[in-house]
Amino acid sequence: MITGCGVVSPLGGGLRPFWEGLLAARSAVQPITGFPADDLDPHAAAEVRDVTPSDDDRAGAFALEATAQALADAGLEPAALDARRLGVALGTTLGGARLFERWLDGEAVGDPERIPYYAPAVRVARRLACRGPVVTPQLACASGTQAIALAADWVRNGRADVVLAGGADLLCRFVVAGFNCLRATADRARPFDVARRGLVLGEGAAVVVVEDAEHAARRHARVRGRVLGTGAAADATHMTAPDREGRGAARAMQAALADAGLDPAAVGFVSAHGTGTPYNDAMEAVAIARVFGPRGVPVNSIKGAIGHTLGAAGAFEAVLCLQVLAERIVPPTVGLAAVDPACAALDLVYGEPRPVAVDATLSTSSGFAGVNAALVLGRP
Amino acid sequence: MEVVVTGAGVVVERGAETHLRGALGLDADGSVPLGHLPEVVRGRASRAERVTQLLLAAGGRALATAGFDAAAAAETRAGIVVGTAFGCFLTNAAYQRRVAAGGQPAASPRLFAATVSNAAAGELAIAYRLGGPAVTLTAGGASGLTALGEAMEAIRAGRADVVVAAGVDATGDALAEWLAATGGAYGAPPAEAGAAVVLERTGRRGPEVCRLAGHASAFEPEPAGAAAGDGLAAAIAAACADAGVAPADIALVVSAAPPPLASLEARALAAVLGERRRRLLIPKRVFGETFGAAGILGVLAAGAEAGRGDPVLVLDVCPTGHVAALVASVPEAR
Repeated sequence: MITGCGVVSPLGGGLRPFWEGLLAARSAVQPITGFPADDLDPHAAAEVRDVTPSDDDRAGAFALEATAQALADAGLEPAALDARRLGVALGTTLGGARLFERWLDGEAVGDPERIPYYAPAVRVARRLACRGPVVTPQLACASGTQAIALAADWVRNGRADVVLAGGADLLCRFVVAGFNCLRATADRARPFDVARRGLVLGEGAAVVVVEDAEHAARRHARVRGRVLGTGAAADATHMTAPDREGRGAARAMQAALADAGLDPAAVGFVSAHGTGTPYNDAMEAVAIARVFGPRGVPVNSIKGAIGHTLGAAGAFEAVLCLQVLAERIVPPTVGLAAVDPACAALDLVYGEPRPVAVDATLSTSSGFAGVNAALVLGRP
Repeated sequence: MEVVVTGAGVVVERGAETHLRGALGLDADGSVPLGHLPEVVRGRASRAERVTQLLLAAGGRALATAGFDAAAAAETRAGIVVGTAFGCFLTNAAYQRRVAAGGQPAASPRLFAATVSNAAAGELAIAYRLGGPAVTLTAGGASGLTALGEAMEAIRAGRADVVVAAGVDATGDALAEWLAATGGAYGAPPAEAGAAVVLERTGRRGPEVCRLAGHASAFEPEPAGAAAGDGLAAAIAAACADAGVAPADIALVVSAAPPPLASLEARALAAVLGERRRRLLIPKRVFGETFGAAGILGVLAAGAEAGRGDPVLVLDVCPTGHVAALVASVPEAR
């Protein structure tokens, strides 16, 4: 069961600004102001502007804030939980990268333990005084999706009663220069659009509370949704370019559906990875059509609104799916005006929000090195 | 459900390979040995970053001993789980130093593409056409056993028929500087290693190296605290329960705690196994502190030392607070 969620997004702190911003088709993409970026080309991104600016461990601060929100949303007090049955699964691709930049430059950065990839999860786990499993999935841009999958596995297998699961990532020169040098970026993300040129980076954290059903029932918790199935697969073809046939992504989606025991027709909404790069979106169109058939299910991408939040992206998209399940409406794909003929096999939601009949959703994520992960969520 | 190890591959510092049958040592010039790999894999490996080289060298050896052929058809039911404490830390440093010095024009696409810790697993998947789940994780110095545990779960849950589980970390100047800045909490001396095993539900390809019966991972929020040890004790108890092994029957313990955490480990062992002294194996004395590789090295070292059928308890303990425990055994009839 998912009994709570917390969001620190470029659309604002908390679930409401995130969801209302998506429904209103707002884009948080602007020129970067959080660090010197004028020499970076392009230098637009979706920054978080209202969370603990004094905390120089940015990803850790995002993760702590999203965790606090998720616990409050779930009505859970960590001190009242059995610490040995409490876990953390938090994906990231950058961890303490801004601290790393400064440390490499010879600056004093305080505790160096805040730099490695495991640091945000450790910070959350120490705050909660948890004694259950604590893991940082490293599946590049599918890390947040895999974190929730891992949490669901732990709960299913009886390894934990409550797991804080999601992802956190941040913007910094390291990553903006990197995606720019790959020529993978643009000033504006236009997922699935014929004029798309590349992705726009974003930052933030999204965390959900994955809880054992009996544990949730005992405390009469409100259930936001259920993790019905998870799946992962490797392209095993290329390090940076997706398999153009979408075979790895399709296998991950099929594995998640099989794990859920659902036919594709039972899924009422697909949250695409939808980065806005020419290759990714074309690959996804092939992969989603391979699983769901041509125009078989409403699809959107939120990366035009909040940018590509890397290790947090899959977690944001899980929260999106919970909201779609609750509200039965799909936000439009910001940045999409004219669908690329190469993506015509998708029933894309754009322009206006679309009411949908939905009992199950699927979120698909892909990343560098050919990783793919998918998550099927259902109504309570 | 028990999971069978059907292949193993290890690369350790030069000289340390003599302590483990079948292990490879680094070459005399410090390079990672690649000569045992099929030509197509060797070509990829020679161009790769150090962590990837270590993983390909160890993973390739493990797959070969389990009877896999790199030229065989793609295996969509074969997965990968890699544990690494620091992943691409050294690549990140090399990449960032160029960006800091020359800005975006100096950013290297080749290096940036390798600044994800799953790059090594991706190269292994491509080299051997493994199309199942490819998961990389970090749980600090407990990454190896944690990865091995998650790989066991992938087999148990039927997500894959075969999983390459590996632990890997490379050392270098930037990491040495960072370790020094932490005040030596991680123990010494740091050493690099890659350790990989092939897991299967049944031993359908290679001979059984050992069996993995139970696992658990946990966290110590204050690992240096006077009362620390509850998390590790819970992990040991859970691993024994998962294995269906009474703690009293554990015959051999593989210790993993760096010196500052020795008392944490001792408290946890006493709490679950009682005060009776067990045979203790400390692989870090010969392999050094190998971080993400330590847990799987510990399993293989225990497999070489344990009596047949004797349950072995292997530990991973890290100053971050990450801890893990795994129960293994050597089959009665090998």
